[in-house]
Amino acid sequence: MEKRANLVRFFAARTGSPAAAEDLAQELYLKLAGRPPGEVADNPIAFIYRVATNLMVDRTRGEARAAARDGQWRGAHATVLAGQEVAEEPAADEVASSRQRLRQLVEAVAELPPQMQRAFTLHKLEGLSHADTARTMGISVKSVEKHVSAALKNLTARLSR
Amino acid sequence: MTAGSHYQDRMTEAADWVVRLQADDLSDVDALAFDAWLQADADNAAAYDAALSVSREFQANARAVRQGLRERRPPRTLVLRGRYGAFGALAAAALVAAVVVPAMLPATSTTAYATATGEHRTVSLADGSKIDLNAGTQLSVTLGRHQRQVALAEGQAVFDVTHDAGRPFLITAGDRTVRVVGTQFDVRRRAGHLSVTVTRGTVEVLPTGGAQGQAFRLHPGQRLEHQEGVQGAQVMAAAPEQALGWRAGRLVYRDQPLSVVVADLNAQFAKPIRVADPALAATPVSGVFIVDSEDAVVRRLALLVSAHTIPSGDGVTLLRSETPKR
Repeated sequence: MEKRANLVRFFAARTGSPAAAEDLAQELYLKLAGRPPGEVADNPIAFIYRVATNLMVDRTRGEARAAARDGQWRGAHATVLAGQEVAEEPAADEVASSRQRLRQLVEAVAELPPQMQRAFTLHKLEGLSHADTARTMGISVKSVEKHVSAALKNLTARLSR
Repeated sequence: MTAGSHYQDRMTEAADWVVRLQADDLSDVDALAFDAWLQADADNAAAYDAALSVSREFQANARAVRQGLRERRPPRTLVLRGRYGAFGALAAAALVAAVVVPAMLPATSTTAYATATGEHRTVSLADGSKIDLNAGTQLSVTLGRHQRQVALAEGQAVFDVTHDAGRPFLITAGDRTVRVVGTQFDVRRRAGHLSVTVTRGTVEVLPTGGAQGQAFRLHPGQRLEHQEGVQGAQVMAAAPEQALGWRAGRLVYRDQPLSVVVADLNAQFAKPIRVADPALAATPVSGVFIVDSEDAVVRRLALLVSAHTIPSGDGVTLLRSETPKR
């Protein structure tokens, strides 16, 4: 179906990898194939997205947040302190980005306006939900979405390759 | 259509969609609107893909970027470093405020918090940090100008500490101090046994009050176990729900001695649980306990360690079964 690419993009917003989004799309098709034909008839697109939304929310509740943390769990490493200066080893799956690229990422975030930077850091880097970010910052959830979105636009413009 | 001429608008919309689709309250109305947006212009999909790819990259490198941000020292804040380092990020405009603020800070005072058996309590501190106290917990909080200090006398709490590089957050628990900058972690001190579990950020555990031993730096997913008065400490891997489950009425253990489980349960229930002999108390326990009724929890626990229970005085005693299953 020609909707498939759109659905994969839809799922990709919350899954940790493009492959996981493909898996969800596949699962959606299996679910839809199992429905009686009459159920889908009057507005198929609306129906498909209703099922897709439920599927995604169920399956990926907190997954994006967990992904940020999972990296940490796997890379967890205790270091005995000799003094205050201790080198911290990066987690294995974080080696993916080169040092130079990491510097670009850090600089780009550091130069965001303060509120945008804080919202983006809490949500994307610390893994807080929109609601938790809003509570921490003492602003509304809508404002958090606005800040994170503005931050993402800025970062995309700077960092897209 | 708008192809090419409204590049900025398209990028704004693309970022909005990435964020909206990740929102807690996503609905199928959003999903349909997203589909329509993709459909409206062939270039929209590419803009969305670019924004999502950047979002992903940050997620995958979250920890390294956080560390990079911490280590980064913007030159303009050097003026403030030292005395007013905590306000550095606020930049030049804050300079005036930084000079005024210390005079307006209230005098340092200490507040004590305690929970009774079976009671949970969440405390929000003036600096934005949050402490979830488990049952049977006593601690006191002192928010000073140069450091934030908590003394954990007994019990267990999850700390969600607001980042403030100029004011470290210190928790003293017996002969160890836990030092933190901004993170989330669980500290448990019951009957002279300390455990610290980190779920986010980095925490240091240091010998304190003249005690001997090594200092440790803990990362997310790690737990430190320490017996007071002993020089050493063990660091092991721990799942987050092991440390934080109690807040949702779930106690999670992996290879913890029965004595630890019983100490936790005794903080929840009025009728004390006792363990008859030391060998049984040392039996390792792994499992998840839903904290519902005490009778039910004790029954499940007894099954798990092949013990039987007898009522004793005001509580219940766990006894090793005569014929332990092999």
